[in-house]
Amino acid sequence: MFGRLLSRLTHAAAVCAVVAVAVFALLQSAPGDPFALALEGADVPAAVRAEWRARYGLDQPPAAQFVRWAGALARGDFGYSTSRRQPVAAVVSEAFPRTLVLVGTALVLGFAAGVWIALVQTRHHRRWPDRAFSMVTLAGVALPEFLLALLAMTWLGARWGLFPVAGVGSLGDAAAWPLWLRAVDFLWHLALPASVLSLAVASRVARHQRAALLSVMREDYVRTARAKGLGEWQVIRRHALPNAIGPVIALLGLALPSLVGGAVLIERVFGWPGMGLTLFEALLARDYPLVLAAVLLATVFAVVARTLTEFIADVVAPRRPQAT
Amino acid sequence: MTPLLSVEALRVDVARGAGVRILEDVSFSLSSGEAVGVLGASGSGKTTLALAMLGLLPPTLVARGSVHFEGHEVLSASRGARRAVRGRRCSIVFQEPLTALNPRMRVVDQVAEVALAHGERDGRRARDAAVQMMERVGLANAAAQAARLPHELSGGERQRVLLAMALLLEPALLIADEPTSALDVTVQAQVLQVLRAQQRERGMSLLMVSHDLGVLAVLCSRVLVLHEGRLVEDAPTRQLLETPAHPFTRAIVAAVRRMERPA
Amino acid sequence: MAASTWHRLRHDGAARGAAFVLGAVAAAALLAPWLSPFDPTAQPDPVALRLLSPSWAHLFGTDPFSRDVLSRVLHGARVSLGVAAGAMLLSVTLGAALGALAAVVGGWVDAAIGGLVDVLIAMPRLLVVIALVATFGTLSPWWLVALIGGSGWLTTARIVRAEFRDHLQREYVLAARALGATRWRIVWRHLLPAVAPQVAVAAALAFAAVIPLEAALSFVGLGIQPPLPSWGNILLDGTDYLTTAWWLVLAPVAAVSGTVGAALVLADRLRAAIADEEREA
Repeated sequence: MFGRLLSRLTHAAAVCAVVAVAVFALLQSAPGDPFALALEGADVPAAVRAEWRARYGLDQPPAAQFVRWAGALARGDFGYSTSRRQPVAAVVSEAFPRTLVLVGTALVLGFAAGVWIALVQTRHHRRWPDRAFSMVTLAGVALPEFLLALLAMTWLGARWGLFPVAGVGSLGDAAAWPLWLRAVDFLWHLALPASVLSLAVASRVARHQRAALLSVMREDYVRTARAKGLGEWQVIRRHALPNAIGPVIALLGLALPSLVGGAVLIERVFGWPGMGLTLFEALLARDYPLVLAAVLLATVFAVVARTLTEFIADVVAPRRPQAT
Repeated sequence: MTPLLSVEALRVDVARGAGVRILEDVSFSLSSGEAVGVLGASGSGKTTLALAMLGLLPPTLVARGSVHFEGHEVLSASRGARRAVRGRRCSIVFQEPLTALNPRMRVVDQVAEVALAHGERDGRRARDAAVQMMERVGLANAAAQAARLPHELSGGERQRVLLAMALLLEPALLIADEPTSALDVTVQAQVLQVLRAQQRERGMSLLMVSHDLGVLAVLCSRVLVLHEGRLVEDAPTRQLLETPAHPFTRAIVAAVRRMERPA
Repeated sequence: MAASTWHRLRHDGAARGAAFVLGAVAAAALLAPWLSPFDPTAQPDPVALRLLSPSWAHLFGTDPFSRDVLSRVLHGARVSLGVAAGAMLLSVTLGAALGALAAVVGGWVDAAIGGLVDVLIAMPRLLVVIALVATFGTLSPWWLVALIGGSGWLTTARIVRAEFRDHLQREYVLAARALGATRWRIVWRHLLPAVAPQVAVAAALAFAAVIPLEAALSFVGLGIQPPLPSWGNILLDGTDYLTTAWWLVLAPVAAVSGTVGAALVLADRLRAAIADEEREA
């Protein structure tokens, strides 16, 4: 168990290191350098420019710059955002928790809903509840998250006005309102983006979970459970599910990177000011340090979450010696 | 006296395979306390017959005809009615004890579950009863073994767990589908011993399915011979061994004789 | 063996329906110049004809620049499907080649390719592509194909490697080797045909993944640039008018999800056909 955990952690660290190198390479090949916007064009003497570059090590060879940059990263220094005119770390520390809330809610709700849908489908295999849910989950997989987001926003948000179409809150001076009202306001804004992302998660989970359950339902021990006189629900929940859920958790881990990509787009559609929206604003402003910090952090987040999921899968469904 | 189990004109077909018949017009009956064997080669429909007695056929198979157990029709019964019978009045022991047990559940919970499925509410009492029954069927050191997972037990121990599961609620009929063919010869003998003891002590009926006439002869007073989905012979064990009527039975009996008296 | 997998697929209703949808979308793309009632980029009257709701003249209405949405969706299919097909071919070819290489050569080549897959698969593909586009500026459609295709070969490589390693153990390969066939001849004559159905599944899945990726990139302004229409940038044109002009969103959404759904169903049925085949074998 600990050996596996250790190897997973090593793998995650290796991925993060590779991503850091790649991001640094991109930073290097981006047009101009962090001071291009601030110092070029203006009537800045060449000597001043050179002095600033020397102070930040930009005149050194790439390898030395990388060491310097990685060292700064390790201290939580992601550079300076030229568009926000504040350190990248400050921008991120505000935006990241919002993304975490969105993705976390969607993961938990989506996973629970997906497993429940698969249980119902297995219980009523080949009858109408199974077929109806199959259509829904196919649509949920075939509709990219950001398109579903656009549809939800068009009708539930803009046309019918049931939900706010942008932001995390609409109480003007937030501090003046009682806490519970602020909480309700936040949840109301979270509802649409989180539901859209949850539906995407639930559809993927349900399709995999259904297939896994149906294959386990052919096992001998399921027949034994029926022979005991257990009801079909109990057979599925107590005997089939524990044996079928492990691979689905692992699959969810594999799907996490694409889920993070989906979350980024959803933030853009709903104006949810997390890492995704920050990323697109930074793109528009050609704020490379912020763009690459956002990409780096989102990737690291995906890697860490995936490692965590795989660890959970190991705990929930430890590998048993195979029967011979 | 009405028989405990009576099967009349039972036919089982593959649901969508046009004309693929697994059992053809099978009729027999079994009275209370009687031990009957079903002899057949692999593919003769033995397991299908065993499953049909409990209404446990997979949805790909369709059964017609009638299976009467304790005065109630099994094939047309509601799901609830079938469930009330399974595990309580009529139990089954399967061939392969490893795959027949849930790999992720402690064996004691799997045995106790039978009681919990039939009205027992107290989990601890169910588990105590389960451990007791595991001891009675000869599981050595049952209290300690109870907390183990199936793969941590030996083949014979697993088969005893399955037996304990089947006997826990003292059913009127036990169906055993090749209960010993996955076991070593010595363990096989022990399990047969337990089966015989339990059957005699409780006056329980036994329907035992096997390809092995020797095994059936130990326990059963009567043997049905199943050949290619048809019941070709139904006779007391001794008569079957001495004057087998059907060519298939004759071949088997001759084979057993050869094994017993090597030339 | 493979031949009867295709045979099974041909008699599968859902698979036929999905193939029909894909065929119809492809035909619409190919015939767009003849099917379209209007020029997709013409702006006849940006004041009087802007944001018209659907009518017989404009089945999907008009956009903020008075262009006909139906014509733009049809022409957009050329661009979106073209980019997707190109990227899919690139990633499947690349994946099959690398997967085969890893399985047949083995050793450090296998380890290197495996390590690369392990690292890349952990990264959000959309973000990788966004970071690259952001660094190198706006891309031509050809570069877009290269970028999207070049980032999508992982799944195919994994599948092909696993299948190849399985087949390399089987007796017919050993027999062919014993008869003196070279490794690459065995790969070409025996292994590739044997894994073709699996590669087809990977291709359908790759296609289903690439369509939304192009749409997403164009939607955030990093993919296909206007006035060239693609399903993604038609959506982008519509986002500012959600309250009034819902038709700007509906038509491209239907096009994207219909195409993706059909590709997913095809992949699903193909996988089921392969499983049936193996169960019976």
